[in-house]
Amino acid sequence: MNKFHLQIVTLDGMFYDGDARQVSLRTIHGDVAILAGHVPYVTAIGAGECRVYENDTDQPRRAACIGGFLSVTKEKVLIAATTFEWAEQIDYERAKKAKERAESILSSGDTAEYRREVAKIKLTRAKARLKVIENSKNIAVH
Amino acid sequence: MAESSMKDISLRIRSIKSTKQITKAMELVASSKLSKAKERIEKSRLFHTIVYNAMDDIIANNEEMSSPYLFRKDIKKSCYIVIAGDRGLAGGYNSNVFRFSTEQIGNKNINILPIGKRAVEFYRRQNYEIVTDEYSIIENLNIGSCHEIGNLLTDCYLKEEIDELYVIYTKFLSTLTQQPEIIKLLPLDHSITENQDIGKNSNRENILFEPSSGVVFNSIVPSYISGMLWSAVSESLASEFGARRTAMESASKNAQEMIDDLSLKYNRARQGSITQEITEIIAGSGL
Repeated sequence: MNKFHLQIVTLDGMFYDGDARQVSLRTIHGDVAILAGHVPYVTAIGAGECRVYENDTDQPRRAACIGGFLSVTKEKVLIAATTFEWAEQIDYERAKKAKERAESILSSGDTAEYRREVAKIKLTRAKARLKVIENSKNIAVH
Repeated sequence: MAESSMKDISLRIRSIKSTKQITKAMELVASSKLSKAKERIEKSRLFHTIVYNAMDDIIANNEEMSSPYLFRKDIKKSCYIVIAGDRGLAGGYNSNVFRFSTEQIGNKNINILPIGKRAVEFYRRQNYEIVTDEYSIIENLNIGSCHEIGNLLTDCYLKEEIDELYVIYTKFLSTLTQQPEIIKLLPLDHSITENQDIGKNSNRENILFEPSSGVVFNSIVPSYISGMLWSAVSESLASEFGARRTAMESASKNAQEMIDDLSLKYNRARQGSITQEITEIIAGSGL
């Protein structure tokens, strides 16, 4: 199967720079999968799991990928994310705590618009991280 | 007379020695912070180059020019983010930034978002309109605060409170050289003005935006700005430490030279007073 050049970069440096067969991730508009030969394309990244398929047979490498943009040009596919963490880099306990904190704020009847907004964003981010771990290790998340 | 001058000299030597201790300590602190800051710019510089070029590409290939992020007809007010240091004693670091920004600003109608204590003080003294002085401590600035600034200024831009956005920072070339630079962040037409011919001649590929270019730009521009800002802050911090290290290194060297010089004088005075005493004793013994 055809491969393409994939670059994943954040402010913390380069996370991937090499060939890949397919990359799937969640945009603000829904999930997309990019294969070689895709038309020039730009979209904004949402909060969710990113899967990088390096070879036909391999399991995908999973990561939490939040914010930023995805751009497809003739030369390469670029993921410039705000947050990008490979599954093995994610702090499970921390994400779990963040999820509980955000949920307690949202259910506490705190009506300050700003705090609710922040809690909502934190909740989506935490959920995205937990989902990645769940998918890669099959740990049940409650 | 000889004794009082000896006392004076030894006092001066002592005071210079303690100054030298301070400059030496600052040099060491700056160089340890510098090595951390250097690691940081290596990462952010990568992001900066790749994302800046990708943005250029996206804009050059975008045929729909209706997005408010791409064009602004009347420039009535510009906003400058000026990044300087928190403290002095860094050679010409702070004053270079201010001189450069004064040149760049000219007579435009502007407001300023200063980053770093020195910048806040400088622009307050000059009576410039300041957007916010919340970000006065540059060393405490994290990615989160860059996102806040990005969102704040994008909002201002969309509400047409500002029509242009620039960031002025100091690029870290090496420990010895740092260069003030300016980047235009908004509107995003830098590639069009700079590469006008290239845009026309190259076979432009029309980029597909999903769901639409408006929505995509709304979502990616704030994070693009905060990313650019973060790398500018990283460069500036490294430059500050580099400048301070160099300044303190030469200060320590000067102090050492002065100590050597004064020690020589002190010894000479000591020698002189001993010789004089001996002469007096011999003269007094009435031989």
